[in-house]
Amino acid sequence: MEKIIEVKHLSKKFGTHEVLKDIDFTVNKGEVVCVIGSSGSGKSTLLRCVNLLEKLTGGTILYQGDDIMKDTHNVEEYRKHLGMVFQQFNLFNNHDVLSNCMVGQIKVLKRTKEEAEQTALEYLNLVGMAQYIHAKPSQLSGGQKQRVAIARALSMNPDVMLFDEPTSALDPEMVGEVLKVMKDLANLGLTMLVVTHEMGFAKEVANRVVFMDQGVIVEEGTPEEIFNHPKEERTKAFLKRTLD
Amino acid sequence: MGKKKEGVFDVRKKIGYLFSMFAVIVVLISGCGGAGDSKDDTFVVGMEAGYAPFNWTQSTDANGAVKIDGSADYAGGYDVALAQKVADGLGKKLVIVKTEWDGLIPALTSGKIDAVMAGMSPTDERRQSIDFSENYYKSHLVLVVKKGGAYDQATSLQDFSGAKITAQLNTFHYSVIDQMPGVVKETAMDNFSSMRVALQSGVIDGYISELPEGITAEAANNSFKMIELEDGFQTAEEDTDTAVGLVKNSALKADVNQILAEISEEERADLMEAAIKNQPAETDTEDDADSGTVIDAKDSSLSFAWIVKIVSENGPMFLRGAGVTLLIALVGTIIGTLIGLLIGVIRTIPKPDSKVKRTLLKIINSLLSIYIEIFRGTPMIVQAMVIYYGSALAFGVDMNRLFAAIFIVSINTGAYMSEIVRGGILSIDKGQFEAAHAIGMNHLQTMKNVVLPQVMRNILPATGNEFVINIKDTSVLNVISVTELYFQTKSVAGNNFRYFESFFVACVIYFIMTFTVTRILRAIEKRLDGPENYVVIQNQMQVQAVENTVKREED
Repeated sequence: MEKIIEVKHLSKKFGTHEVLKDIDFTVNKGEVVCVIGSSGSGKSTLLRCVNLLEKLTGGTILYQGDDIMKDTHNVEEYRKHLGMVFQQFNLFNNHDVLSNCMVGQIKVLKRTKEEAEQTALEYLNLVGMAQYIHAKPSQLSGGQKQRVAIARALSMNPDVMLFDEPTSALDPEMVGEVLKVMKDLANLGLTMLVVTHEMGFAKEVANRVVFMDQGVIVEEGTPEEIFNHPKEERTKAFLKRTLD
Repeated sequence: MGKKKEGVFDVRKKIGYLFSMFAVIVVLISGCGGAGDSKDDTFVVGMEAGYAPFNWTQSTDANGAVKIDGSADYAGGYDVALAQKVADGLGKKLVIVKTEWDGLIPALTSGKIDAVMAGMSPTDERRQSIDFSENYYKSHLVLVVKKGGAYDQATSLQDFSGAKITAQLNTFHYSVIDQMPGVVKETAMDNFSSMRVALQSGVIDGYISELPEGITAEAANNSFKMIELEDGFQTAEEDTDTAVGLVKNSALKADVNQILAEISEEERADLMEAAIKNQPAETDTEDDADSGTVIDAKDSSLSFAWIVKIVSENGPMFLRGAGVTLLIALVGTIIGTLIGLLIGVIRTIPKPDSKVKRTLLKIINSLLSIYIEIFRGTPMIVQAMVIYYGSALAFGVDMNRLFAAIFIVSINTGAYMSEIVRGGILSIDKGQFEAAHAIGMNHLQTMKNVVLPQVMRNILPATGNEFVINIKDTSVLNVISVTELYFQTKSVAGNNFRYFESFFVACVIYFIMTFTVTRILRAIEKRLDGPENYVVIQNQMQVQAVENTVKREED
C-alpha cells in the first residue's frame, strides 16, 4: 500500500502542557482513517499538526516519503495537496458560495477563471449546493455551509482530505446531510483522515479506526477490531461511555 | 452569472482604481510643484495679504494688484505697489506669496521667498535672523477703540487706565503697552482681524496699531475710532520704520536700497493715500452707494443681508477654498488608508522561523511603532510647521504648499489608520486565516483575498470618521498658507471686516461638506453589503456527472 502521510515521533506542547506524545501513524492512499477519542485527547491537534496549522514541537511528517519539516520545504506548496474541512466551516465571509470555491484555485493553483468555475460547479453539484452559488455564507444553514466548505476543499483537487470534527457544530438534523456527502466521497475512493465523534460513521465508512487518549494512540485497527473486540481497557471504557 | 463572477475580483479592481486615482493626483501635484520655486528671473515677495492698507487680498487685478502664487486671488496695497517698483528696478517678474505673519521670517530664511514686504519694522530682534533694506514707509503708533465707549475721548496714555488693551503677537506694538499706566495687558493676538473682532465684541477696549491700519479700521467700521495721542508712546526709530526683509548678506540688498532711494517721499505718500483709498472695505461702501443697495457697509449690526453680500461677492473664493480643503482631505484620507493597510499587513506577518528574517521584521515593526507614536502624539499644526519649514531649512527642499499639506494629512491619517486597520484585522475570526492558509495561500494572498476585504468593510465607518476629521482639521494648515477654506475665510473677513458673517458662511460650507461625505459613505457601506436575498438557481447548469468527477479525482 502506498503511504501518503507518515507521522513520526510527533510531539506537541502548548507551554508546558504536552498535548501529543510521540505519535506515530500512517495514512495510505485510498484509505479512510477515523480518529476517535474523548474531548481533549489531542485528536484535533493531531489533525492540525498534519497540515502545519500548529507548529510541531518534535518529530516529523513525511508526505509521499518527503520530509516536509526540512527548511527547503515550502509550507504552502505542501498544503495544496491537503484539503481541510473545519468544525466551524470557516467559509470566506467576503465571498459568495461560488467564489469561495474559486478563489483558491485562481490564486494558489493559478487556474483560469473558466477552469476554476467549471471545477467549482462540479463539486458544488456533488455536495448538492449548486443551486446556491450566489448566496453569501451568512445566508446559509450550518449543514449547507459545511457542504460548501467540503466543495471548496475538493475544488483544489487535493490528495488527502482532512476533516476536523465536521459535524460537531451542527444541529442534529443537519448532521445527516454532511455525513452523507462524506460517505459519497469515501465511496469515490478519496483518501480521508477524519476526526469525529460520529461512531456510526466510523463503523460504517472507515477502513481503519485510531483511538486516542491523553495525547497518545492507545489502539488502532479495523472498525470491527476496535468497536467489537477492543483490547485496551481505556478503549473499552470510552466505547462504553459513548455508545450507551 | 456574469455579474457574480465579478465578486472575486472587484476588490482588486477597486484597489486598482485607488492607485490610478492616486497616480493622477501625484501628477497633478508635481505639475504645480514648480510654482513656488524662486527662479532667477522672479522676485518672490512674502506678505500676509491681510494688513490693509499695506497689503490685502482681492479677487480682481484692479489698481495694480498682483496675482497671489498658487491662488486665484490677487494682492493689493502699498507693499505690493512698492514691491512692483523694486521688481521692475531689478528687471524681474514679481511673484507674491501669501504667508502668515509668523511664517514670513521662516519662509525667508528657508529660501521659499526672496524678500518680506509686509509692513515689517526692522527691529533688533529681527535683525538677528535677517537683514533689512532702508526704510520705505514711516508711521506712528495709534490706538483703535470703540466709538462712544469709555475711552473714545482719551488724549494721553494716562487716560487708558483700567482699559483692556492688546496688540499683535511678536510685534513691538505689544511691548509698548507697558508704557500705559494702569491698563490691563491682554494676551497678544495673531492678527488684526482677530483684534477687530475682539474690539467689536467688547472682549478688549482697544488695540495698538499704526496710522494706516488705524485709518483703515475707522473707515471700515463706523463703530471704531482711531486715537492719535498728543504725548504718545516712546518708540525707537526703527520700530515705526517699515523696511524690506532680506536674507543675511543678501546680494539683493544694495540693488533694493538703490531702487528705494529713487522713490521720493512725495511719491510714497501718494502711494499710501491711494492704498488707503483703494483698500477693499472702502470700495465696498462706494459700490453700495452707486448701486443703491440698502446695506450700510459701516453698519456694525449683524445682518442676513451681509451674509448674502459676502457670498455673492466672495463665492468663488469660498468655493476654491472648499475645493482645496476637500482635495487635501480626500487625497490625505485615501493615501492614509493605504498606508494604514500596508502597515496593518506588515504588523500581522506571522513570526518567521529564520533568525535573520525575524530580526529584520522586529526592526521594521519598531520603526513603524515609532512612526505611529510620533504622529499620533503630536498636533498636526506643529507637524505642519516642522515639516514644511524644517524640510527647507535642513535639506533645502522647497515643498509645494499643497503637496506639503497632502503629505502631512496623509502621514497623520496613516498613523491613525494603521491602528484602526490593526484592530480590524484582529477582529477577523482566526478561522478565516486558517481556512486561507489551509487552502495554500501565503500571508499576502490571505490578506489580499480574504482578510483585507472584510477589514475594509469593517473599518469603513472609522475611515469615514477620519475623512470628516480631516475636512475639519485641514483648517490648521493655514499656518503654512495653504489656501484652504479657513485661510480663504480669514482673507475674506480681513477685507470686509465682517467676521461673524464670513465665518458663518465657512461654518455652513464645512457642515455641508462633512454631512454630504457622511451620507455618501453610508450609501457605500450599504452597497458593499450587497443584496439581502440571493437567487436560487432553478435549472441545474451543465456539469459533469458524478462518475466523471470520480475519474478526475483518480487522476
